[in-house]
Amino acid sequence: MRKRSRRAFLAGVGATGVGGLAGCLGFELESSSLEPSLVENRPDAVYVPTHTEGMAMGEMGSDGGYSCALTYSYPHRFWTVTGSDTTQVEVGSDDALHLMPVVWHSETGVIPSDVSPRVDVTRDGESVVDGLNPWPMLAQQMGYHFGDNIELPEAGEYTVTVSVGAGGERRTGPLADTAAAEFEFTLDYQPSELRDLPFEDIAEARQGTLGAAEPMQMDMVPTMQAPTADDLPGTVRGTTESGDAQFVVTTLDDATRFGGKEGQQYVAVSPRTPYNRFPLPQMSLSATLSRDGETRFDGYLNEWLGPDLGIHYGAVVEGVAAGDEFTITVDSPPQISRHEGYETAFLGMPDTTLTL
Amino acid sequence: MSDSPGIDRRAFVKSAVAIGGAAALSACLDRGPSIDVPRGPEEPSATFPERQHAWNAALPTTDAGNNHHPRHRVLLALDYGDGTPTDAERETVEAALAGVERAYERSAAGLLLTISYSPYYFDRFDDDLPESVDLPEPTALSSFEDPDADAVDAIVHLASDHGEVVMGAEEALKGELGELNGVSQPEAALTDVFSLAERRTGFVGDGLPAENQDVDGVPDDDPVPEDAPLYMGFESAFDGNQPTEDRVTIQQGPFAGGTTQQLSTLTLNLTQWYEQDTRDQRVSKMFCPHHAQNDVVEGAGGNLGSDTRMDDCGDPMETARREGVVGHSQKMVDVREDDTPIILRRDFDSTDRDHAGLHFLSLQRTITDFVTTREAMNGDQIDSDSAVGQRTNNGILQYINTVRRGNFLVPPRSLRALPPADPRATAAENAEVANA
Repeated sequence: MRKRSRRAFLAGVGATGVGGLAGCLGFELESSSLEPSLVENRPDAVYVPTHTEGMAMGEMGSDGGYSCALTYSYPHRFWTVTGSDTTQVEVGSDDALHLMPVVWHSETGVIPSDVSPRVDVTRDGESVVDGLNPWPMLAQQMGYHFGDNIELPEAGEYTVTVSVGAGGERRTGPLADTAAAEFEFTLDYQPSELRDLPFEDIAEARQGTLGAAEPMQMDMVPTMQAPTADDLPGTVRGTTESGDAQFVVTTLDDATRFGGKEGQQYVAVSPRTPYNRFPLPQMSLSATLSRDGETRFDGYLNEWLGPDLGIHYGAVVEGVAAGDEFTITVDSPPQISRHEGYETAFLGMPDTTLTL
Repeated sequence: MSDSPGIDRRAFVKSAVAIGGAAALSACLDRGPSIDVPRGPEEPSATFPERQHAWNAALPTTDAGNNHHPRHRVLLALDYGDGTPTDAERETVEAALAGVERAYERSAAGLLLTISYSPYYFDRFDDDLPESVDLPEPTALSSFEDPDADAVDAIVHLASDHGEVVMGAEEALKGELGELNGVSQPEAALTDVFSLAERRTGFVGDGLPAENQDVDGVPDDDPVPEDAPLYMGFESAFDGNQPTEDRVTIQQGPFAGGTTQQLSTLTLNLTQWYEQDTRDQRVSKMFCPHHAQNDVVEGAGGNLGSDTRMDDCGDPMETARREGVVGHSQKMVDVREDDTPIILRRDFDSTDRDHAGLHFLSLQRTITDFVTTREAMNGDQIDSDSAVGQRTNNGILQYINTVRRGNFLVPPRSLRALPPADPRATAAENAEVANA
């Protein structure tokens, strides 16, 4: 584990980064007024937010087959999701930063969606944050991650421990070989350095239009994006949409890795955000597969993690033929918290049908 | 209001229990009118039930039809040390316990107590515990928890509506008081036999969590409702959610009349609960989405009477699939027998280590009954097969961390003083000695 300067990890800095910073002169971290007002008349779709933010990366470590990087940014607003309802979370007056432990499977780079990291923060042996389970979240620059705003009493060094469980049973290949992991980091919290992170207003004319801020590229952290349709394994059957999410459908001739028998096939659905191609975990999906009006499959699409498919949903079926009608039903939209620009999308998600 | 001596005194008493010790007790007794608690009988063993845990008959029933739970609690975690107990030590423990029982009547207003023993205590005997006792060493009960084992030998659970009573009993058991409630105390003290490894304290009941919310784990703006009996803001000890004491009592073998006690130390992180969730989200996660959508729960849930109306919630998997969230209570329905849970909750909140926590103390016939219940709470299958996450929207798992788990045997009263692992074998040996 090595420590790199925070500066070296600044990401998402645009050409107008300095201008953005100038606009922040004098702002106080304690103040929730840092964030511009939300765009009026937000579309029910992914939209360009009011601003982008830089991110700082602290230490990184590996354990139990997982890697973890401790990243953080300004405290910022987000929305929790229960069912199709969102609840806006405002920045608290004592929030120090938005802490994001990024956990991935070391060998495959897949961000596991079936474990929930826990965060404990101590200072000189005294508990500062005890047993925080950050929310699973979706952000336009970060993709799927875990995060929450946390309070820290003052500048200084803190010990941050991130714990992750072994993982669920719906994993294939090396993803199945993980153990419970624990990572310990030193976080040097300096409000003045946090203030140096880029904070960039987006031109007002673009705010609220259909589109998204660019994803960050982070050194040492694997890409958060879902594979392109071309990179998915199997026979890619096409892409369909619901609630502004894209669903790429592919079929694999070998279903045995997914609990199927010889001769059965596996239908995999890879839902992702438009523009940035971030995977969308924590949905309830089901599907029907019919041929000539006859239903040949009707059941759950369960969430799986695979080295090539990444986070996806799938079902074992008897067989797929060209021309089959494949209808995806979103029983619950992604139950992950949303950052600005995603809070109005992926909520109302009607059935969608693809002819294979 | 702050001028009212009653309020001041109450506020003082609840923090005094957390502080503990003779000084806190004496400061407590010095403030204002002394409490009036009837004394216990001269010979407690002649009248007290064989089941130490038979508290229900001694507890009043609330207006809603639920058992009232004693408001103040102390858990004395005790280490015995090496070797096996002698008869003299057994007499000391029994005498000390009987001393406090003579001082206070056996009731919620007086004193209720149990003493229980861990598998680590029983390890010292050559004999194993009989098969009729299911008391494994504690283990982690989910893939996402990593608790310490509660490795002490014994736990004394003191409960009363009066903080002064649990504090007084504690001091007497430690041999610090010659007289308690006007009743002279024996020379014998628990601390003659045990060392005190840790004292744990807590409270349960309307108003107490709100009065004690200035701790880590609770946001600063005093979000805990004034009438809530627990930090999370809702009633939980509904009568319909509690089995009978018979159901949790060991039926056979030398420890018949006893029970097993599972004791977890849970910490609460309620910033998300109170600041990032709405009331509807909290009701969905504590009870079920149906109850949130239909405004079934008013306030802390007192309007539910003794029944949380789980029949209206629907199948938990179906709810998780369709609503993306599943209620804590809703998940527990499947582990019911005859529409009744199989663990008896006697848990309470705590400010130990200045952090909002819960001493989740439950009684059940076998520890396996607890494990089954906890597995239902984990909702692994629901997590795996629906939008519900490992913790997120999975009941209240997002807000709770298990930092310690312990399993204990609450022996029947006649065996409560340093019991051997197998009383039948010990009795047989004694008979041999007598006949020799």
